[in-house]
This record gives sequence, structure tokens and C-alpha cells, in this order.
Amino acid sequence: MGTSETNLNRRRALTQLVAGSVGLVSMPLWVESLCARARAEGHTHAAQVAASAATWSPSVLTPHQDEAVIALTELIMPATETPGAKAALVNRFVDHVLSTVDAKTRDEFVRGLTWLDDRCRARVGKDIAGASAAELTTVLTPLAAEGTAPTADAPGVAFFRVIKSMTITGYYTSEIGLRQELGDDGRMMLGTFEGCTHPEHQ
Amino acid sequence: MQVITPPKVYPVIIIGSGASGGMAAWNLTRQGIDVVLLDAGDKFDRAKYWTHVPPWETQARLARGEKPETFFLDTKEQPYLTPNDRPFALTRVWGHGGKTNVWGRVSLRLSELDLKAADRDGWEIPWPIAYKDIAPYYDQVEQLIGVNGGTDDSDVLPGSKYLQPPPAPRCGERLLQKAMGKLNIPVVAGRRANMTRPTRGFPACHYCGNCGNGCDTASFFCSADHLLPFALQTGKLELRSNAVAARILTDENGLATGVQYFDRRTGSEQQVRGKVVVLGASCVDSTRILLNSKSSRHPNGLGNGSDVIGRYLCEQIRLNARGYLPALEGTATRNDRGIGGEHIYMPRFNHRPGRGRDYLRGFGAQFWNTWSNWNGPQEGSDQIPGFGASLKRQIKRRHPAWFEIHPFGEALPYAHNRITVDPKRVDKYGVPLLHIDYRIGENERKMTEHMADTIEEIVKAAGGVLVNYKRGNLDAMGSAIHEHGTCRMGADPKRSALTAFNQMHEVKNVFVVDGSAFPTATEKNPTLTILSLSWRATDYLAQEIKRGNL
Repeated sequence: MGTSETNLNRRRALTQLVAGSVGLVSMPLWVESLCARARAEGHTHAAQVAASAATWSPSVLTPHQDEAVIALTELIMPATETPGAKAALVNRFVDHVLSTVDAKTRDEFVRGLTWLDDRCRARVGKDIAGASAAELTTVLTPLAAEGTAPTADAPGVAFFRVIKSMTITGYYTSEIGLRQELGDDGRMMLGTFEGCTHPEHQ
Repeated sequence: MQVITPPKVYPVIIIGSGASGGMAAWNLTRQGIDVVLLDAGDKFDRAKYWTHVPPWETQARLARGEKPETFFLDTKEQPYLTPNDRPFALTRVWGHGGKTNVWGRVSLRLSELDLKAADRDGWEIPWPIAYKDIAPYYDQVEQLIGVNGGTDDSDVLPGSKYLQPPPAPRCGERLLQKAMGKLNIPVVAGRRANMTRPTRGFPACHYCGNCGNGCDTASFFCSADHLLPFALQTGKLELRSNAVAARILTDENGLATGVQYFDRRTGSEQQVRGKVVVLGASCVDSTRILLNSKSSRHPNGLGNGSDVIGRYLCEQIRLNARGYLPALEGTATRNDRGIGGEHIYMPRFNHRPGRGRDYLRGFGAQFWNTWSNWNGPQEGSDQIPGFGASLKRQIKRRHPAWFEIHPFGEALPYAHNRITVDPKRVDKYGVPLLHIDYRIGENERKMTEHMADTIEEIVKAAGGVLVNYKRGNLDAMGSAIHEHGTCRMGADPKRSALTAFNQMHEVKNVFVVDGSAFPTATEKNPTLTILSLSWRATDYLAQEIKRGNL
């Protein structure tokens, strides 16, 4: 049982302790539901299976939209010392996840993508797929800064949240993401388990 | 439909082959008693366990059209009902070994503190047994199944005598452990039924950490590996698969005479005759069978003159808090899968001086680093600001730093938390469906507050940051998969269904040996206690048979 003062202190302490979605900008419902859907698909690997076919074409997105998704996912998770989202076929993951949700959520996603394509043309004179990484970065940076984006940009902010989350899920459920980038050794038979051996953690 | 009544009368019929039924079969057959065991499913196919299949290989296999073993019962095959505004997430495994194929393996003894809780606080009925009654059985079970843990006994967690060495803590667990030390919050090695030493011919755990998909080497306790084959070797066990028990049949004196079941493949009705019935179909399904076994002598369900059967469902409350430890960001990626889930455990401490709160009973918590599963990097990384190479770098840096805290709290028994059967809604065999009505109360809400305070205090002391944390949010009701209380044991036949030896007060040749027999849920994971009580009850049963009483 705490007094109101300790409750207040507790609340203040909590804001320093917690990062995440309780935070800054409230998002439309479809945003979190689509991100959660992507995580569920990522964990069962159903999406990656659909994506691994030798001949593939998008089932939800148009070829133009697919090109835009390739550009966006690669910008969010680019090739560095390890391959990026494009090599990990994250665009196919995104298309598959969209094929598993209702028409309304799909429409929201496509509307957001179209909004961003229009914004891109307005700002740099090219659509998403045609813009350079530097140009796309200019367009996306204000949308990624959720708290400070103007209200009129809300559709772009929401869309960016979704495509970023889906890219992370798609990339870090792929072999490229888990094995090459994060360095999972894939070993499944250990003779002993060492645990933490850092002297500074003991 | 023609009813086929085979002439053979078995000394004992057991329903269910998980921890409770498997133990009953093992213990009775080794004492020379003939048993027929009904299981609602079949043997799971170890060739289809994908425990050593990393995600990238999973994808290739699925693409080839292969499928892993699915352990869980589909609600399309067996629906259950709840009130519309009170969902309950019920998990059922029908098949040899039941839920022990995929269980969490946490093996915590109840202590005198747990068994005397109701004597102290007066909430509902006390356990009819003391620690000394069950301790010898804990000793035997731990040696039989191979439990690892520390030597850090306390009033909450006694009896480490036979434990195998625990796996070393991971980095994040070390840091959380240190923080708890500073706060004077107790923390011990987890106690879990992964064999860290070869045991009874089974190889030791190889730390793939994928125990939730079954074990390729039978290195954690599963009834189908560690009990049923030994029972079969005695020649005393007849195991009937795909036998979905519906009702216990009774005679004009109200005593059990057999079991009616349905063949899961053909749907045909079958009966088996026996002198004694041992029910170990899991808390929820055993309760359903009892309530569906109505007769003129048992109009309220078998052995339910007291009207306690189905009531007092107590399923623990739990939540999962996730965060990261900045001190571990940028350290090397390690193979930290270990024994899957936690290597350290916070025993209950709210009974200690100065730690009390305005609620009854208590909670404990499991702690782990999350590189013990492959979903780690996707959960919470999207909260890292920005995009591009810097985001990628930061996700990698944070990857070894994630941790989870997973408290389990006792839910009190309430008469209104209740399993019933609905005669108007039936399954495909025509057997009335389960209806589960479960909600927590003020005591559990106050406990949740204390859980949240504890999590926040520890994370703060460890210098950690919680992510996507919503104070007070509990997992869906039913998520602990620790149902208890609906066929409870007790000294008073008016307020309990079973004796201290799991024998029905009103039907002396029926025993109920699963979690439904617990008068309280406690905050501890129940399987070790279910195994111990089932062993104890069937020792008593074997004696009674030999004395000619049953």
C-alpha cells in the first residue's frame, strides 16, 4: 500500500525504466495488428516458405508496389558487411503477410505506401523505387521521428512504423539475419554449457 | 449403436498417460498389478520432432511439404466453452505422455509454507497432508526423473539432496542475480527436469534449448519416455491409444465398474471393465469426465454430493516482462540456448519480515536471457529509433542484452471459478462439452501490483530498461497451464472430493491423481508434486488391493 506520493515517484521512475510503444504517438489499430501478424508469420516461418519459391511474383502488391517495398526494406535494413533486406527477400515476406490479413488492413497498407510514393514524387521528383538511397532518406527521416512529425504526415508516420517493424521481423527470421548478421552458430549439440564466463559479470 | 462389452475385468483402469496417469501406470505395474491405460491420443513420432532444426532449415523443410509433430489438441476437434466476456486459454495434449512432451520442466517442491497456507490465513480448506508426508516421494521422483538445481534450500524451496548440477547462468542472469542480491531479494538456481547427467540410461541434456518441441534424446522427463516403456516392460500394462474417455460407469451401489470411451479414429463407442478407476486426464478433462458420469446414485456427477467438483478452479496468474541490460550491449553473440528458458529463479519472498503486503499467498519468478530462443531479435527491436545501417548495428548490439522476467502467482480458490458441462452442447461423440468460467479477484490484482513493483525494482537496480511493458498487464487467463482445485483433497468430505490419498470420499474405488486434487494452486509449477502425489496415492492403492479392500 503506497501513499499517493510514492505512487507518483513510482510513476516517474517508471518513465525512465520503460521504452516502447506505451510512448509517444498513438497509432491506428491496424498498425499494431499488422505488425503482430507479421511476427506470428515470422515465427512459424510460413511466410519465408512462400517467399522461397524459385519463381515468385507478388500476390497482393502490384509489381510497382513490390519495387517500392524492396527499396524501402533495403533502406531500413541495408547491406553492410552482411547482406540486407533485399537479399533476405523481405519484400516477399511482406507480400505474404499481407495475403494473410483482411482486405481492410491490406488497403490501409497500400494507402500508406501510395501516400509515401506521392510524398516522394513531391519532394524529390521520383517515386520510391526510382529515388536514390540519399533521396529516400531525406523523405523518410521526418516520418521516422514520430514525436515531431506534423499531424498532416500521420499516414506516412503510421506506414513507416509498419514497414519498419515488418522489415525487422522478416530480416531477423531469415538465415541472413540470424546467422550472418547476428552470428548464431546454429550448434544444437553442446557437450557442456558454459554460461557467462565474463569476470566482470560474476 | 451396438455396445461391445468385453468380459475381462481389469484390476485397475487408468485414464490419461501424462505425469499423473503415467506415474500411476508405472508404479502399479512394477508392483505386479495389471492395468489398462486409456489415452485419448497416440504415440508422438520422434522422427517428426524438429528440435534441432534452426529457423532457416525449418523454412526449407516446410517448403518441401514436411511438417513437424503437432502436440496440441485442436479446438476444432474438441471445442470448449467460456462466457463471451471471459476467455480462457486452455492447452490440451492428447497423446502418450500428454503435456509432459512439451512441458516447461520447472520442478519446485511444495514446502510446509505452501501446504499450511490455508491453516494460517483461513482462506478455504487446508491440504490434508504435511511436507513430511510427501517429502519421501519428492526424493524418489527427483532421483527417477533427474532434476537439476542448486543446493540453495530455504523455507520456500526445501530438499535439494538429489538434484543434479544446474546449468550455469547466462550473462543477463548473472547481472539480474547481482541486482537482486543488492535488494535482498532471494534468487536461486532454477530447478528443472532436464538431466544434466546421464540418468537411468538416458543421455544428458545437450543444451539445444528447444525443449518446447519435444526432446530428441529424451533428456528431460516425459512420461512417454521415462515411465510408460518401463511399465510396458513388466508385461502388466495394456495401453489403449485413441481412447477418448467419456464417463465412468457405476453399479447400483454407486461404485465404479468401468469406463465408457470413444475410439478417436472410428468414433465407435467402447467400454472397459475394471475394479478400480484412476483418473489422470489433467485437471480440466478429469473434471469433465466426473461431471459427465451422472447416475441415479450420483446425480450431480460422480462422487459430487458435496458439489465441490468443478468449483475452486485456481489457475495461476502470470506475465512476461521483457527488457534489455545496457551493460551487455555490444558483447559477443553466444550460444545461450541452455536448457531453454530460465536458469535462475526468484523464490517467493513476501512472507519475509518487512516484505508483507495486503494480500494472501505469494508469487515467484523465472528469469532468463533471451538468446535462448530465436524470436528474441524481433520482439522489441522496432522500438529502436531510426533506420538504416545504424539501426542494424544497434539491433546487433542489443541482441545479447535482452532478458525476460516471468512471474507466476497463486490464485485463490473461489467457488464461482468453475468448470461445468453443458448438456446442450456436445462433442462429436455426443458427450457434453466443458464450460470454463474463470476470473481473478482483488487478491490477485493486489498481487499483480506487487509483482510489477518487484520487476521494476529489480530492473532498475540492474540498470535495465523494460520494453513494451505495460504495468499490471497479465497474460490471458489459462496461460500458466497450471489448472488446479476442481476435485480437491481434504479432510472434510463435505468440503472436498478426495481423501489425503486421492481416493474419492464418496466412491472408494475411484482415485483422481492429477492437478485437480490440489486444494491450493501455490505459486509453484505443479508437475513434480503431481508425480509425487500420484506415486503416493498408487502406493496406497496397491496396498489396498493386496489387502483385498479394492
